[in-house]
Amino acid sequence: MCFTETGRKGPGWLSAGLWVFLLAGTMLLSGACGELLDDLNPSGDDKRSVYDAGTTGPYVGQTAPEFTVPDSLGVPVTLSSQLAVADAVVLYFTMWCPICEVHMSHLRQHVVGSYPTVSFFLVDFVSGSVSKSRLAQVSYGYTDFTVLADADVAVMDAYNGGMGITALIGSDGVIRLNEDYKDGFRLKEALDALLAAP
Amino acid sequence: MQGRGSALSMLFGATGPFLWVFVWLFIGLSLSPTMAGAASCCGGGASSGLVLPKFTDYMADLSLGLEYYDGFWDEKGRQKPDPPGSRLAQYRLTPGGAYRLAPNWQASLVVPYVWNSTRYAGSSYSTRGLGDTSLGFWYETFDTITCVYQVNSIQDLKPAVYLGAALLIPTGISPYDSVENNFDITGKGFYRADANLMVEKSVYPWSLTFNLSHGVHFSRPVNRENGQYVNPYRKKLGDRSMWSLGLGYTQFLEEADTITYSLTQADLREGKTSLDGRVDPNSGFRKRSQTAGISYTTSDQSWTVKGSWNRSPRRNGWGRSFPITDSYTIGASRVFY
Repeated sequence: MCFTETGRKGPGWLSAGLWVFLLAGTMLLSGACGELLDDLNPSGDDKRSVYDAGTTGPYVGQTAPEFTVPDSLGVPVTLSSQLAVADAVVLYFTMWCPICEVHMSHLRQHVVGSYPTVSFFLVDFVSGSVSKSRLAQVSYGYTDFTVLADADVAVMDAYNGGMGITALIGSDGVIRLNEDYKDGFRLKEALDALLAAP
Repeated sequence: MQGRGSALSMLFGATGPFLWVFVWLFIGLSLSPTMAGAASCCGGGASSGLVLPKFTDYMADLSLGLEYYDGFWDEKGRQKPDPPGSRLAQYRLTPGGAYRLAPNWQASLVVPYVWNSTRYAGSSYSTRGLGDTSLGFWYETFDTITCVYQVNSIQDLKPAVYLGAALLIPTGISPYDSVENNFDITGKGFYRADANLMVEKSVYPWSLTFNLSHGVHFSRPVNRENGQYVNPYRKKLGDRSMWSLGLGYTQFLEEADTITYSLTQADLREGKTSLDGRVDPNSGFRKRSQTAGISYTTSDQSWTVKGSWNRSPRRNGWGRSFPITDSYTIGASRVFY
């Protein structure tokens, strides 16, 4: 855009003030926000807590919390019953979101078939009812999975679940993995280690 | 699930005074009266990000953006709806400033503040916090005005070419902070360095703007995901590339104020993430979108008021592994000489 020389000139302190405010504002907000600095200087330290064997909870090494929850057809599914007939149980927490979709597709194509003695479940913690879980399962094309309708988010709460979280539970009831699915590598690594154990 | 991200609410409560003082002082600065001076021409204003017009000294910009999500493209590019009962929105208040460092060099800083308001399959989530900060630099390869009203010689076809670099600073709330899911995040958690090119040519009343950008994310360690500590690993997001091509038409009003109408096509891609050096096949995305914009600029270019509507086509193949969105932005810029 071309224009005539009728512009305005601002005092120098104004430009300096503008930059000071932008920089100071950013730093104040970031600094005051404490852990936001984690991303500015991220840590690779292992901060996981170590849990005593035998305690029940969502973390690796703990005994998996028992649950009974209906699947998307209304059939109750109990963890202990599943562990009695499978070498392991895998819970994938889905929100039917883009990331979940990619994870579930990868799980289907690259993981499930390699572990026929493991039971895989999708845990739907967002639909709110059995019928809505079924609707989501069908519309997203995952009828080959058993979807657990976690309508009251009890399973999600018990496992610190969330979008993309994947929990692996051995037949002894101990949690071997509980973290984001990412590329599925760690799940397969944990499954291989679990199934190779005597 | 109302109230998720309460830690962030507490955080906002703690920083609220700082925020509002910051915002209001910024607005005050933007609106403060200035003295008469000189000025001239082309380049900037219509492009993405903050670009200071040639021969101007500095600029303050404030915009408010509303982004609504409407389904997503899956990994094969098929359009899919969100679950019933979903309503996802993000609001962004974005103050920014640009400053001329030298006759052909300028720098800019943009610091967004973000509100997430989400209802997803019947559950509600709400978060607010600082977004990722962007620090940018442009080098103007031209020394004179390149806009013309008619083409009389080959020289009149010379465009305004800008070469730029930008750094994205992860000041936002990322999946690696104390959050429960991606609805709570306001930033990506990664530094990114961008190399930018902008080519702009105006033969009034028409103008063409081409933007090209390539960004490289820096690798970082991760020891927490969605608020839960995990076995640490290194993560590097894929390279991000973007191009856009915009066509503008400028209408001259009485007293030489202008209204510019623009249409822009953009294509954004991000490559595969690496995890401890492994390529994550589940990562990467693509999004194509169109933007219609309108801006009003005073004859001395000291004020610009602008609005735009960015829309992702609801068609298969126009994106991959990415949300489909509509964005509305209104804003104002104040340029000083």
